Amino acid sequence: MLRMSLPRRVRLLAAATAAGLLALLATGTASAIQPGGITDEARLMNELFWIVTIAGLIVFALVAAALVYAIIRYRRKGDELPPQFHGGGKIEVAMVGVPILIVIGLFTISMITLVQIDDKADDDALTIDVTGFQFSWQFAYNLNDLGTNTDPNAEGTIAVIGTPANDPILYMPVDEPVEFLLKSNDVIHSFYVVDFLYKLDLIPGRVNSFTVTARETGDFRAQCAELCGTNHALMRFTVRVVERDEFDAWVADEAARQLGEGTLVSSSGTQGD
Amino acid sequence: MATVAVPQLSGYHRPAVLDWITTVDHKKLGILYLYFTLFFFAVGGILALLVRTQLAVADNSFVGNDAYNQIFTMHASAMLFLFIIPVWAGFGNYLVPLQIGAADMAFPRINALSFWMLPPAGILMFAGFIVDGGAADGGWTAYSPLAQQTGVGMDMWIIAVIVLGMSSTIGAANFLVTMFRMRAPGMTMFRMPIFCWTMLVTALLQLLATPVLAAALVMLFIDRNYGGQFFDPNGGGNVVLWQNVFWFYSHPAVYIMILPGMGIVSEILPVFSRKPLFGYKAFVFATIGIGGLGFSVWAHHMFTTGSVLLPFFGFMTFMIGVPTGVKIFNWLGTLWGGSISFPTPMLFAIGFVSMFLIGGINGTYSAAVPVDFALHDTYFVVAHIHYVLFGGSVFAVFGGLYYWFPKIWGRKLNERLGKLHFALMFVGFNVAFFPMHMLGLDGMPRRIAVYADSAGWEALNMLSTGGAFLIAVSMIPFLIAVVMAFMRPKDQPDDPWEANTLEWATTSPPPHYNFDSLPPVRSERPLFDARHGDEAH
Amino acid sequence: MAAHGAAERQGMTNSMLGFILFLASEVMFFGGLFAAYFIARADAPAWPPPLTPEQIAEGVKLELEVVLPAISTGILVVSSITMQYAVWQIQKGNQGGMLWGLFISLALGIVFLAAQLYDYTQLHFLADDTIYGTTFYTLTGFHGAHVAGGALFIAVVTVRGLGGQFTAENHEAVEAASMYWHFVDVVWIALFTVLYIIK
Repeated sequence: MLRMSLPRRVRLLAAATAAGLLALLATGTASAIQPGGITDEARLMNELFWIVTIAGLIVFALVAAALVYAIIRYRRKGDELPPQFHGGGKIEVAMVGVPILIVIGLFTISMITLVQIDDKADDDALTIDVTGFQFSWQFAYNLNDLGTNTDPNAEGTIAVIGTPANDPILYMPVDEPVEFLLKSNDVIHSFYVVDFLYKLDLIPGRVNSFTVTARETGDFRAQCAELCGTNHALMRFTVRVVERDEFDAWVADEAARQLGEGTLVSSSGTQGD
Repeated sequence: MATVAVPQLSGYHRPAVLDWITTVDHKKLGILYLYFTLFFFAVGGILALLVRTQLAVADNSFVGNDAYNQIFTMHASAMLFLFIIPVWAGFGNYLVPLQIGAADMAFPRINALSFWMLPPAGILMFAGFIVDGGAADGGWTAYSPLAQQTGVGMDMWIIAVIVLGMSSTIGAANFLVTMFRMRAPGMTMFRMPIFCWTMLVTALLQLLATPVLAAALVMLFIDRNYGGQFFDPNGGGNVVLWQNVFWFYSHPAVYIMILPGMGIVSEILPVFSRKPLFGYKAFVFATIGIGGLGFSVWAHHMFTTGSVLLPFFGFMTFMIGVPTGVKIFNWLGTLWGGSISFPTPMLFAIGFVSMFLIGGINGTYSAAVPVDFALHDTYFVVAHIHYVLFGGSVFAVFGGLYYWFPKIWGRKLNERLGKLHFALMFVGFNVAFFPMHMLGLDGMPRRIAVYADSAGWEALNMLSTGGAFLIAVSMIPFLIAVVMAFMRPKDQPDDPWEANTLEWATTSPPPHYNFDSLPPVRSERPLFDARHGDEAH
Repeated sequence: MAAHGAAERQGMTNSMLGFILFLASEVMFFGGLFAAYFIARADAPAWPPPLTPEQIAEGVKLELEVVLPAISTGILVVSSITMQYAVWQIQKGNQGGMLWGLFISLALGIVFLAAQLYDYTQLHFLADDTIYGTTFYTLTGFHGAHVAGGALFIAVVTVRGLGGQFTAENHEAVEAASMYWHFVDVVWIALFTVLYIIK
């Protein structure tokens, strides 16, 4: 009897694990993704994420239920051969049709979101030049190009440069589009701000750009997401989203300080914290 | 054109070692492949445990950042190039000639050459650990320009992968000719066992994709050693070029790594459901479809480079979900209405179906391009690849080992130990890899040696590490079962499982020339036909 | 080795099928190199790419002379014809005709290689002079290596032919060598077109 009962226990274990996984997936993703999405774009992506997740959970639930049902209902009870069914006909059409409908639906929704995200670029936006290097970041602000909400008040560029031991802070204003220009002079890096739900690579020899509009103030962690060498893991930074006047004050302080140090125009400087 | 069945001279016994080194017998070469690849599975597993130990707690300094990069690079390289890809060549070598009723592969000596290219390549790759600068540390993807910066270990890695690629290319040609030309009378293409079909498509992918990897590696080698400018923007080169050529091979390679596993599962499920595979032809066409689509989705690894035609590759990536979904239906339909028993191979096969299901679903996140922007290069992707390649391929490897062990070695592995092995591995696997979904969603990038305590990733990482060690523990009952089996005499009948395919029509293990006689082949289940006559059709 | 207990299908032999599959993988290898060339060239703002002042000072010039390679192309095309002539002759059982075909093809192949090496010495750039130099030497170098391999193949077949090993029924190696040689020829025509002709 032990021989008979062991597989059943294993089956139960498998079923219980599957059910547990399902619960974990639902709660885990819910809790993990909740704080995400501080930009307009991220909120669109968050919606898409949930659509994919719900579709995935439905598929998983149906297939897992069928699997568990089959292995319990159709376990071997005797030597009699079951009907030798080879398949064919309508079922095989459904086998192809159902997945096609699911993927075309998901693809369409993804493309709608993709177009919405790409639509946000704006010539007047504040532009931040991001340069990744082994192993930290430089964030440069052209004082002539600080966005529409402020008057150009000076010539030159201020820059925030980090080190692996001293993470830089990227200041950006809330509620207005900000464009990032991404460059690298050594290896590939990836600019990944978790709460933007977005990353884009910094590739030697080309400039990538994207635009976001943040809707929440606060500090958000970010780091390099593309393996770039020994201290890849230390290539972290913080995105500090602030109100516009606070941002202007920070720019003024930095400009004055870097002017005093004589580093203003040469677009290099020290960390502005 | 002599027959192979030359009896050993009775007076003279060659030393067994010499016999194994010089053998051109597909079965012995298959066994050598299995030993070799399982050895590197263990090596890759130990490296994985080092990775998980380093990541168990925040701000860990168990291994340094440099060493960490080498360890995870070599973990992936061992698992992909020295375990998963050649392990299918091992199963294929042993099984394809038997399953199609042939005496050997089409080119036995080339077959031996394919195998004997592996050990030098494996040694060369791992010798990187003892040279100045250490082993390759640019990830198994070896993205340029990072791959230009590292030491001579990287060159050794490049050469090793080229050699491994040559081995699998000529092996692929051998499999294709064998299956096209050496099938038993009556065995049409659509009566071939499903494992052979998956090997056929895999071989086609290898034949056509691996040379492109060789070209990419040659370019990288030239850039590193002869001042080449392929990937150097300062000389007019193109950094993203590497990713294009690399993934042109390496995405089909993912199917090279999983298709034969699907084939094994599709052999096991019908036997223990006592039904034919549901939708055999649909499965074959789905396999061909995956192979074909596999060549048009490579750039979904590059959505965040900003230089990819997103709608096209997003669409193709979703489309590859269709043949994958068809296969899930094949397997469910096979179980449905069956008479199912649950010996260890069946548990691994069902484990494969359930884990591969998750691996398919969490893969759709990467096809939805905007979601991929968030999840790319995070632990979510690490979870995905392990649900496919561990929950999928590795479960299939063990299912196949338990299933064909009686055929290959003439003994059965202990059932209770096998079930314990399965239970531990199933739980360990999910505990190790499921939390990675959450870590990825919470923004933990892959390939980082350390993370800050403030990131809040410690608990899930600790859990994952615990799961990894549970997987390691699950190998203990397996090894005990193997040792116990080898201490017993060879006692297995021709067909201990009441199976369907021709390898079970000969003794266990089969004689040198494979078959004394072949049953007639009138369907894809000649042994079922022989057992039940036409009553069941 | 024979297929014991299995019916070898009619038509081409296993070896020939295996050889064709091997050629398919070779096509993919060159396909990878060509793809790299096209991507690099499509992506470059100017072709040939601009040189640094240091390179110009060293006398680097990204220029190719077209006359000699054009003659080489003719030589290789003729050698393909003579190679095919050898196959046709042995199909008719004419060993002497086949040997002449093989000799001439081999000689032309060697002339091609010599011309290629001479051409290298006349160029004013090296493999590390921009992506232009890198792709040029990589593509022509790997092609040259394949020509050398093909010439070796023909040499072996010629020696076997001198030993009278081929007949009208049994001359697979000649056909294989011929297929390989045509493959090398076609790759060269593609190379000549994209490297020398298309500006």
